[in-house]
Amino acid sequence: MSVQPALVVETIEATEVLEGRAPRPANRFRMERVNWPGTIIIALCAVTVLIPLYVTLTTAFKTQAQAADGNAFSLPAPFSVDGFVEAWNLTNFPVAFAITTLVTAATVAGTILLASMASFAIARNWERKLFRWSFYYLLMAMFIPFPVLALPQIQLTGLTGLDNPVGVTILHIMFQLSFSVLLFTAFLRSIPLELEESARIDGASTWQAFWQLIFPLLAPMSATVGIFAFLASWNDFMMPSLIISDPSQQTLPVVQSIFQTQFSNNYNVSFASYLMAMAPAIIVYLFTQRWVMEGVTQGAVKG
Amino acid sequence: MATTLDDVELDLTKPPATAHGAVPGTRTKVEGIYYLFLLPSLILFTLAITLPAVIGIFFSFTNSIGFGDWEFVGFINYIAAFSDPAILQSYLFTFGFAAVTVLVVNAVAFLLAVGLTSRIRMKTGLRSIFVIPMVISGIVIAFVFNFLFSNSVPALGQALGIGWLSESILANPDLAWIAIVIVTAWQAIPGTLLIYIAGLLSIPGDVYEAADIDGAGKFAQLTRITLPLVAGYVVINVILGFKGFLNAYDIIVGLTAGGPGTATRSIAMTIVTGFTSGDYAYQMANATIFFLITVAIALLQLALTRGRNVL
Amino acid sequence: MPVPHHTAVRLIAAIVALGLAGGGLAGCAAGGPEQVRFLLSKPEAIPYFRDLVDEYNSSQDEVEVVLDNASNLQAGFLRGNPPDLGLLNYNMEMARFMERGALSDLSDMPEADRILPEVQKLVDQYATYPGRTSVLPYSVMAASVIYNKEIFEQNEVEVPTTLDELVEVCQTLTDAGVTPFYATYKDPWTVAQGWFDYTVGGMVDVASFYEKMKELGTEVGPDSEVSFEKTFAEPVSLMQQLSDDCTNPDAASKGYGDGNLAFAQGEAAMYLQGPWAFGEIAKTSPDLDLGTFPLPVTDDPDDLKVRVNLDLAAWIPEASDHKEAARQFLSYLFEKDVMDEYNAAQLGYGTTTDAAPVTDPRIVGMKEYFDAAAFYQGASQQIPLTIPAANYLQGVVLGSDVESTLSTMDADWARLALRQ
Repeated sequence: MSVQPALVVETIEATEVLEGRAPRPANRFRMERVNWPGTIIIALCAVTVLIPLYVTLTTAFKTQAQAADGNAFSLPAPFSVDGFVEAWNLTNFPVAFAITTLVTAATVAGTILLASMASFAIARNWERKLFRWSFYYLLMAMFIPFPVLALPQIQLTGLTGLDNPVGVTILHIMFQLSFSVLLFTAFLRSIPLELEESARIDGASTWQAFWQLIFPLLAPMSATVGIFAFLASWNDFMMPSLIISDPSQQTLPVVQSIFQTQFSNNYNVSFASYLMAMAPAIIVYLFTQRWVMEGVTQGAVKG
Repeated sequence: MATTLDDVELDLTKPPATAHGAVPGTRTKVEGIYYLFLLPSLILFTLAITLPAVIGIFFSFTNSIGFGDWEFVGFINYIAAFSDPAILQSYLFTFGFAAVTVLVVNAVAFLLAVGLTSRIRMKTGLRSIFVIPMVISGIVIAFVFNFLFSNSVPALGQALGIGWLSESILANPDLAWIAIVIVTAWQAIPGTLLIYIAGLLSIPGDVYEAADIDGAGKFAQLTRITLPLVAGYVVINVILGFKGFLNAYDIIVGLTAGGPGTATRSIAMTIVTGFTSGDYAYQMANATIFFLITVAIALLQLALTRGRNVL
Repeated sequence: MPVPHHTAVRLIAAIVALGLAGGGLAGCAAGGPEQVRFLLSKPEAIPYFRDLVDEYNSSQDEVEVVLDNASNLQAGFLRGNPPDLGLLNYNMEMARFMERGALSDLSDMPEADRILPEVQKLVDQYATYPGRTSVLPYSVMAASVIYNKEIFEQNEVEVPTTLDELVEVCQTLTDAGVTPFYATYKDPWTVAQGWFDYTVGGMVDVASFYEKMKELGTEVGPDSEVSFEKTFAEPVSLMQQLSDDCTNPDAASKGYGDGNLAFAQGEAAMYLQGPWAFGEIAKTSPDLDLGTFPLPVTDDPDDLKVRVNLDLAAWIPEASDHKEAARQFLSYLFEKDVMDEYNAAQLGYGTTTDAAPVTDPRIVGMKEYFDAAAFYQGASQQIPLTIPAANYLQGVVLGSDVESTLSTMDADWARLALRQ
């Protein structure tokens, strides 16, 4: 399957548009001049987003005394990394970080694989009851409130020896499944059947058609699904706290919960801890978002 | 090879093109490989989600406290739930709150998405920034906004001489819900935004060019072209958003703890107390009722939008 | 017909857990020390116990104690693998576990005989599992009114011992432009723990009230022998009055943290908090001259009592596989020196007959009441969590009608009794 030249040209144009460079004459949105009012309004909105981040940053670098003085907007004076040191020790950061990373990575990979495969099967066999009903079955589950599931899940994971990060990973994947399948099936409907047909004519089996043709095309949605799965798993507190029985195997959010009690005012330590936990999430997003946007335009323009 | 509008619509109930060019309804054999793709997910899912759900619902018919001895009690928990004013109030509050928040989130996210996919400066930078709320942990958000609403906003209100803003709205039983809407929206917009951006970017440029040629203005293009084409995404966002907000818990606990008084006590808050307060079975009944209502509403939403989706 | 919930489950789980434990501990337990999982989640005490555990582990090599401070207790009991030794706050939630027989009997331990009988009674006020001493109290926190001695001196105000004196003090301070009490209504628990518990505890026999309430169950209402509406009307009205007249005007938007800060900065003369607040206050003003006295709500000084709660109590679950080792560590914890040091550091009152007397000037004001057993457990702590009492009370101090709030609580209580 070769990419036609026209598609390549259009892809380049679209990417440039997204990156804010000067538009070529044939770009998609005809607002030739920069939309200044729009820019300003959006920039203002961006400020509201940055305020909490600012507060987190400054508080993390304050000394304990200053952090508790009630003035959230002041800059750290003196600048101190006490909070980080203490948070690192109190939470046994490296271990918890490693475990959380493994769980999240496995969740992302597992979700993308399982969901894309299941969605493909469903989308391509819509006329069969099993597949169509599987879709609705998976969807319905999105509405089950978590408390209904929690206690039985604790018992079942305890029974099957899954009361550890592995069990949490599996559960995370399962919770993401409904939403991911929804996204993938929606996206799959925009991939024309002719592509698969021509692959089959060339002698490819369905297995090959999926992995070599469809799955790469799903990249933008995979990235989106992946991001949602990443965030859901990385920040999740409830499930690991209930499912993992060995405290030395706990994930980061649970370990950080010792800062959360109403009796504790070590703001600089707790914020330093939250910052250390947030950083990877932000980095991962920044890293993948460029890929997401490029991929989405490719997917859209291939038309 | 132009993408037709048909390929872009997202009617979830309309059958897509079928494999092998098969005519829907005929009994061609399903390739085994498709079962291989579907069944692992299905089986794992049933074991991990459906089975516990059934067990959980089962316990709503008992007086279990989560462990230890229990007895079967039939429908008592359900009857009690329907006559419990606290539960009723939590439903009223939560549904009202969810409806308002869905509106706010989708309106703002959609407009932001349009803006962020248009000709503005610093586009990539701004887009990165707007994802931040999604990435910050809920505890930090609740804490920071709690501080802002309790201290900074009243200070601002006093400086500007606005009466009702001079005291923390978190302490005002009639206005506290506004703060919760703001913070929830703040955290929910990035996710919705991402989906809308994906949707907007999937619209090919030729469509707008054709509209230009026909002389349609920007607003007309927005309402007659953009909106219908992303309708499917709107439906997804509204249904999921509404369900998500109905489950509001973290932010409410962090901002108001259900207060002042019990003015902002959500359904999820009430259910979760069932864990720690020995009222497990009762709150499982509450949760089951909640589940049924949520599904009913989602189905309703789907049915209402079914007709409008096919272009 | 009652059916044991998880006997079979427990059996299987125990086998699986043992299998996994055997495998998991292979690295460190090949004939090595027995591991005891020790649950302690009181944040202020974590660094203290971390050191203690390290000391203990290095002093002998039969038992290795692992400090756990984040496990979910409910989940642990559900799975059949709770911690081996727990040292936690004892409240209604813990009482439920005890009621169902989840905690093992410790009455044969010598430490059990050293517990002060009045303190042991506090444990029994929640519920008992017949024939067992399931819980050994470790540290009791006594709480009453914290006051700023300097401000009192400056305004020539004496510690009040009757309600009239209290009202006078309030008036004097207000006239002098000083906020009498610093209130933090934003956090419902501070309203329940301080305002509600102190006013109710000073007027009502809390223990016998709840005994009767439990008996009455579904019959609780405006006409029953006791009820929230009937018995608590006076104290709660007083609470509303005091909170209206004697507190800072911005109380509705202030929380626990704000309160500690403000009080430390001398913005009010009195503060209704327990000893846990001292550490927080010291972060801002370590040299503040503070003392404590019980809140007088009657005209009889003999009615003065302090609020106590079982801040830390030790228990060993039935499901533990390391009971012997856990008991060894428990004995160590209960050694006189160890206990005394802890209570001195955390401003708690010792629970044993041989506990060192309290000397810290900040809490010594309550010593006479503690020694005379003139104390009560907070009324708010004995209301099942499914009734959002703290939120209701928050409503009261923010202006809700006392009578209707209390009758709502009665209705909730009756409805709960119907279900259980």
